[in-house]
Amino acid sequence: MFLDLISRDLRSRFIGSYTGWLWLLINPLLLLGVYAFVFGVIFKARVPENMEVSFVVWLALGLWPWLAFSEGIVSASESMPRYKNLISKVAVPREILALSTATASFVLQMVGFVVVLVLISLLGVTIHWSGLIHAASILTTLFILSCGIGLFAAALRVYIPDIEQLLPTMLMFGFFLTPIIYAPEMLPEAFGVWLDLNPMAGLLTDLRGALLVGDAFPSLATGVFAAISALIFLLGMMFFRRMSPFFEDFL
Amino acid sequence: MSEHLLTVDALGKSYPPGVVNMGRLKAFWSILLKGHTVGGKSVLEDINFEVQAGESVGVIGANGAGKSTLLKLITGVLAPSQGAIQTNGTIAALLELGAGFEPEYTGLENLRMNAAFLGLNRKQIDDRLDNILAFADIGQSIHEPIKHYSSGMVVRLGFAVVASVKPDLLITDEVLAVGDESFQKKCIRWIESYLDQGGTLLMVSHNMYQVQKLCRKALWLEQGRSRAWGDVFDVTQAYLAWHERNDAEQQLKGQSQRSGSGYQVQQAWIEGFESNSAITFESGDRMQVHLQIRSPDGRPPVALVGIARADGTPVFGTASDHSDQLLTSQDNRLYSISIEFPRLALLPGGYAVRVCAMDPEGLRIHDTHECEFSVRGRSRSLGMIELPYRWIVPEAVE
Repeated sequence: MFLDLISRDLRSRFIGSYTGWLWLLINPLLLLGVYAFVFGVIFKARVPENMEVSFVVWLALGLWPWLAFSEGIVSASESMPRYKNLISKVAVPREILALSTATASFVLQMVGFVVVLVLISLLGVTIHWSGLIHAASILTTLFILSCGIGLFAAALRVYIPDIEQLLPTMLMFGFFLTPIIYAPEMLPEAFGVWLDLNPMAGLLTDLRGALLVGDAFPSLATGVFAAISALIFLLGMMFFRRMSPFFEDFL
Repeated sequence: MSEHLLTVDALGKSYPPGVVNMGRLKAFWSILLKGHTVGGKSVLEDINFEVQAGESVGVIGANGAGKSTLLKLITGVLAPSQGAIQTNGTIAALLELGAGFEPEYTGLENLRMNAAFLGLNRKQIDDRLDNILAFADIGQSIHEPIKHYSSGMVVRLGFAVVASVKPDLLITDEVLAVGDESFQKKCIRWIESYLDQGGTLLMVSHNMYQVQKLCRKALWLEQGRSRAWGDVFDVTQAYLAWHERNDAEQQLKGQSQRSGSGYQVQQAWIEGFESNSAITFESGDRMQVHLQIRSPDGRPPVALVGIARADGTPVFGTASDHSDQLLTSQDNRLYSISIEFPRLALLPGGYAVRVCAMDPEGLRIHDTHECEFSVRGRSRSLGMIELPYRWIVPEAVE
C-alpha cells in the first residue's frame, strides 16, 4: 500500500501533462541553468579553492539534496489536507499517507539529482563513484530527517494552519543558512563558527567530499547526526500517532 | 476474553468546539497532554452494545441522530471522546459513496488502491480482480477516470471491492440506496450469502424493509443516544410508530381542539388496559373498546369507532347506526356501548382507536377521543392489514 501510494503520488504530478515523465529530466536541468546563470554569471559566486570544481557543480551537489529535504517536509505538511477525503472515509493509517507523500517528493528530487549528476559527469567533471555509498548514507540520513520533521509538520498543520505559511519561510532561512549557493569559506570568521552549529552544513560538506573527492567514510559528526535524525524520526512518529486519531475533527 | 466481534462500551463523541484558532490550539494541547479532546458539541452519548460473530445489526434513526458518526468511530476514522470500542477481526467499511476514490484515476486504479486500503496485497488483488470486475459489472468504463462515472457506477465499484475482501465485520452506511434495482438486489443477495457463511454486518439504512430483511438486531439512535436496542422487529416497529406519531403531531399542530359542546365522549378505553400503561397487541389478538358518551339533550347519540394508523391514515371505521345499534343509558344523560374486534388483523405498527360522539342523526361529529396502541408481530407483510391469503402454485409441467 505504501508503494502504491508513492507511485500514485508520483504519477499524479504528471497526469494530464503532454510530455509527462519528460518533465522529470527537463525540470532539474532548467533549474540548474537558472541557478548557474544567476549565481555563477551575475553574482560571480566562487567555490573553495582546494576543490577545483566549477560553481555549477558545487551548487548542484548542495541544491538537490536540500530541495529533496525541504520538499519532503513541505509536502508531508500538506498531506493531511490533501488526503482529507480519504482520512474521513477510510481507516488508513495516517502516517502512511504523510510518509508516502514525503517519500514521493524526496524520490522525485533524487531523480533530478541523478539526472544532474549524470549531466555533470558527461560535461567532464569527475564524479568519484567510490564515495557513492558514503553519499547514499548521507542522503538516507537526510531522508529520515525529512520524514521525521515532515511528520511533526503534518500533525501540527492539522491543528495550526499557520504552519502552511510559516514552514516555507523557515525553510528559506535554512536554505540561506546552509552553504548551498556559497562556500563556507566565503563567510567572515565570526559567522563561520555559527555555521559549524548547522548540522546540514556538515552534511553537505561531507556529501561534496564524497562525490567530488571520493571520501569513502563519513565523519564522526555525520554519524552522530544520523543517530539524531533517527531519533527525530521516532519522536515525529510518536507525536504523529498521538495526534492523528483526532485529525478528522479538525480537517 | 469474549467471543464478541465488536464491543461498544459507554461510547461518546463530541466534536471539538469551534474551529477558531484558539479553540484549535486548546484542543491541540489537550490531545497532546491528555490524549483526548475536552468539551465541544456532543453528538453521541453513552452508547453500549455488543455484536457477536455472525450477527447482523441495523442502525436506524432520524437524520442527525449520530448513525454515521457511530460507524466512523467503529471503523476507526474518528476517535471516541469517551468510552471504548473493542474489535476482534477484520473490518471493512463502505462509509460513503466512492469513499477513497480519486476522481482523476481510472476505475481500475482506484479499485486497486481501495483494495490495498482494505488490506489486500497485490497478488490477492490480481487473484480477485476478475470477480470484482464481474460483480461491479461496469464493463469497459473501468478504464475511464472515476470522474466520468455515474454515482451508481461508483457505488457498484466500491461495493464490489468491499465484497471481495470478505471481512469479519462489514459496515455499510446507506450506500445501497444509490444503485439501481438490479444492483441493489445483487448486493442484498451477496450480503445474505455473506451472512449465511458466518459474516457479521453492521448497516445504516432508512429502508426498514431492508433492515428487517438483512438484520437480526437493531439499534435505534435518537439525538446521539441509544433509544432502543434489541430484536430487529421490535425496534424497527417502535421506530416506525414513533415516526408516524411525529408526523401526525406535526399535522395536528395549529388545528384547534374541537370544543366540547353538544355530544361528548365521556370515556373510552380498551379492555385490559384501563391504566395508562403502553397498550400492545399481538397481530390477530382480540380487542374490545368500551365507550361512554354524554348526551346534552338526553337523546341517544351515535358512536363512531375507527382505527387509524399512527400517522392518521384511516384503516377502518364503523358507526353504531350502521349496524342499527342503540346506545344504552345508565342515567338519562350518559350512554354506553362496547365494540369487539375478535381478530385484530393489523400488521405491526403504531395505531390509534378513535372514538367519536355523533348526534342522534349520525350527521355530525361532536367530539373525538383517541387511544393509541401498538401492534407487534413478526410479519414481513407490507401495508396495514393482514388479509387472508394463500399462494397457489400451479402443477409443474413435465
